[in-house]
Amino acid sequence: MAGNLTLDHVVIAVYDLDAATADYTNVLGRTPSWRGGHPKYGTRNTLFRIDNTYVELLALSGAQGDKRWSGELQRFLEQRGEGVYALALGTPDIRSTVNEMRENGLEVMDPADGHGIDLDTGAERAWRNAMVAPKGTNGIRLFFIQHLAPPEALPVAEPVDEAAYVRRMDHAVVLSADMEAARRVWSDVLGARLALDRTFPDRNTRILFYRLADITIEISGGSAQSREGIGKPDRFFGLAWGVDSIERTCARLAAAGVETSGPRPGIKPGTLVATVKGPATHGVATLLIEHMPQSFEAEARGPQRGAIDNAPQQRAFTATALDHISVTTPDLLATATKWAATLNLSVTETHDVPGEGRVAKIPAGNAYLALTQPTEGSGIAAAMTDRGQGMHAIAIAVDNIDEAVRDLRVKGIEVTDPTPGRDPTPRIARVSKTATNGVPLILIQHTTP
Amino acid sequence: MLTKVHHVGVVVRDIDQAMRFWRDTLGLDIHKLQMIEEQGVKAALLNLGDSEIELLEPVVTDNGIARYLDRKGEGLHHICFQSDDVERDLTALKFKGVEMIDQQTRVGIAGRICFLHPTAMDGALIELCQPLDEYAALHPGAR
Repeated sequence: MAGNLTLDHVVIAVYDLDAATADYTNVLGRTPSWRGGHPKYGTRNTLFRIDNTYVELLALSGAQGDKRWSGELQRFLEQRGEGVYALALGTPDIRSTVNEMRENGLEVMDPADGHGIDLDTGAERAWRNAMVAPKGTNGIRLFFIQHLAPPEALPVAEPVDEAAYVRRMDHAVVLSADMEAARRVWSDVLGARLALDRTFPDRNTRILFYRLADITIEISGGSAQSREGIGKPDRFFGLAWGVDSIERTCARLAAAGVETSGPRPGIKPGTLVATVKGPATHGVATLLIEHMPQSFEAEARGPQRGAIDNAPQQRAFTATALDHISVTTPDLLATATKWAATLNLSVTETHDVPGEGRVAKIPAGNAYLALTQPTEGSGIAAAMTDRGQGMHAIAIAVDNIDEAVRDLRVKGIEVTDPTPGRDPTPRIARVSKTATNGVPLILIQHTTP
Repeated sequence: MLTKVHHVGVVVRDIDQAMRFWRDTLGLDIHKLQMIEEQGVKAALLNLGDSEIELLEPVVTDNGIARYLDRKGEGLHHICFQSDDVERDLTALKFKGVEMIDQQTRVGIAGRICFLHPTAMDGALIELCQPLDEYAALHPGAR
């Protein structure tokens, strides 16, 4: 379960909600999804749903509310000022997540019902959340959240200008004085995937890169653990936003009176970055990042400028085996007979796949052939007409199809959502042929090995 | 006897570009990358469990791979089965009257190989192979 946590949303604490809403409408290039209040907490908020998470601007409403929320926010604003306040980690089952985290030694409050109202539309959303005691996370404020309302209850924040808006969150940066403690929290307690543990000697910096779905939590600290650092709290530093065109985004921001550093090459090859300056980000160090295709190449993932990898990179998923090869024929019986007579490979079972055709399974040791007589009008029938009968597709087994689909999508590859396949109970996803050199490719995860 | 699917052959326009998906995105390791001058192809074998994906890029314009690319574009090209005795299997195929591209086995990237004619298997192009060390053990003195 822990490995399935997502970055549900990021909370930014602000003094003046209306001013911050206007500024973030500019910074993100999107109009708010939601302007609401939490009567129970004594807070008000503005939400922007972007492609892979949502952003919450949170302010005190002035009304009496649950001191556990409003008192905490007030203390934060008084002591630290505006800035990133908390990360909300999404879970499909908060009860089991809380139990698991407690078993991992994390102090978590009991899940509580939450409720928000959009003050403009009257729309309502409900959730259950559970706060984590910050002392268990080196001072980083986290809470778990399970939404009870469907995702569409929070509409996507409409972009104001094509290609010049923030499409997605790329990463969030946490500064840590105690990197080993941070690693224990994120790896051992939260179970997040450590994608990279890298030291940059020329900058005297070590960075841990954790992945929550397609968002990276970047934890940055000194390259060597110092005695002074141990026990000091971690803090949020800033957020990096993915844009399609950094040039157009910077131009739009300049026109809106928001200053940026202008595009420059990022540390990772194949990226362009720009820093957003001035008060518009309300205490959040803000970076815009554009990934060009070469940033997804293996070389770009390697250490740059003398950096050292401290641990082997963990891939999001592993392709474990060739599962089967789909071969089309207009006459299943005739072709199956030929396979048996010519190559001594025989059919062990036949079945119908709705919308595809009749399939004869021919085991061949480590994989099998799925000899398929397509149903008229199906996509596979069209493919047979187009390319001729014969090899049609291959299916590759992966150890984690959800991670595989996310990883491919991060790299800009079209792939369908995983859906249940047939016997025994695999889940499958189809990868767009445009990415695979024309090979219809099915990813498959068997639930039983 | 055929023992397993040794590899699936994929024809590509540019192997280096194809690596971005098969190696970098899917994470398959390359275990052989070879220019086969006499066949006019550049070939890469990538591990996939106990099978392999073979990427084939034509480097001339007048071989089967180049014509395939012209006619059909990139895509699935052939299935290669591993044999425990490729000579015996080829003899049996010829005895059965199966139409073959190769009348004799030859050395390819996957070992000692031979191709069936695509019409033999209703459009699916089939290759048989036997790793060279196993072949040498069965046929001492052969080259």
